[in-house]
Amino acid sequence: MNNLMHKNILLNCISMICVLSMLLLPLSAIAHGVDITAVPINAVEIYALFDSGQPMAGGQVTIYAPDEPLDPWLTGICDEEGRFIFVPDYSRPGMWEIKVRLAGHGDLIRLEVTAAEESVVSEAGRLSFLQKIIMALVVVWGAVGTALYFSRRDG
Amino acid sequence: MHIPDGILPVSAALSGYVAAGGVTWLSLNRIKKIFKNPREFIPRASLLTAAFFVASMIHIPVPPTSVHLILSGLMGVILGWFAFPAILVGLFLQAVMFQHGGLTTIGVNACLMGIPALLAGALFRSRRYFGADRKIINGLLAFLSSFLAIVTGAFTAALLLIYTIPAQLNVSAERAAIIILAGAHLPVALIEGVFTVMVVLFLLKVKPALLEGDRL
Repeated sequence: MNNLMHKNILLNCISMICVLSMLLLPLSAIAHGVDITAVPINAVEIYALFDSGQPMAGGQVTIYAPDEPLDPWLTGICDEEGRFIFVPDYSRPGMWEIKVRLAGHGDLIRLEVTAAEESVVSEAGRLSFLQKIIMALVVVWGAVGTALYFSRRDG
Repeated sequence: MHIPDGILPVSAALSGYVAAGGVTWLSLNRIKKIFKNPREFIPRASLLTAAFFVASMIHIPVPPTSVHLILSGLMGVILGWFAFPAILVGLFLQAVMFQHGGLTTIGVNACLMGIPALLAGALFRSRRYFGADRKIINGLLAFLSSFLAIVTGAFTAALLLIYTIPAQLNVSAERAAIIILAGAHLPVALIEGVFTVMVVLFLLKVKPALLEGDRL
């Protein structure tokens, strides 16, 4: 009786192992089909800000390749920080154009891409707050000077 | 409300130049006819141009965006026909020095801010029919003039931008962003309306002649 019970348990164990093996086989087959390769590439990161310093979150990015200036090569959306990352096609060297637009505001920058995967951004530098204040004071001083000139009494 | 370079099609930018040229000619012509000595008003126009120039640097956060003061209504109320040339000069300085707005869109921007300024001036000067020395009439018309100048300008700019969205963009997303930005000008209109009331009531008390200088 005891011997028969041991036989049954053994048979059950063997059949369970067989079923599990059959279930696992396809999984291991899928796992063997995956091949992940990681290669560092030279990507371009864009930061789009309004002149108030606020990020252009949701700004629409349109990128034009140098040999196709009318049809967009890539379009996308800036993230919450006004950031957008893309990898230019290095087989198309030249001056790439990147436009960012949001609510009727936007700008265009040019990016020089060479075949050697080196890119140079040609972009007007942003004015610092101090520079803006000085420039505003210069204009105000000019306006005050104009006002004084035209308010002088002749003779 | 300052539309930068590269946003509008060439036809719209050119139309803006033509319209701004026409309104500038009309303004200068009216100034020549109305004033015996227009030089007397240049100090006032010059100082308000400086105020207009600096106002664009004062940003007001209106989530999810931020807007800046414009002062077109105040310009119209104080300067009358001088408002349009003053705004044109202010826009030129903003575009050249801060790249705020643009040189190709200076005509369009001048129309978007300058024409509502002229209308604001005309509305304020209708006070002579209701009692030019009454404080309540001056205050009410000053608020309405300035408020409507901003609302009209923002609404017209939004319409122009919506009808010229390039096809390669996500049109519905851009349209929604433009409507949000136009709506964000409502607090600006309220702030500038109150500010214009304060300026007008102050001038009415200390130097009422400054409000009666021209006949728009």
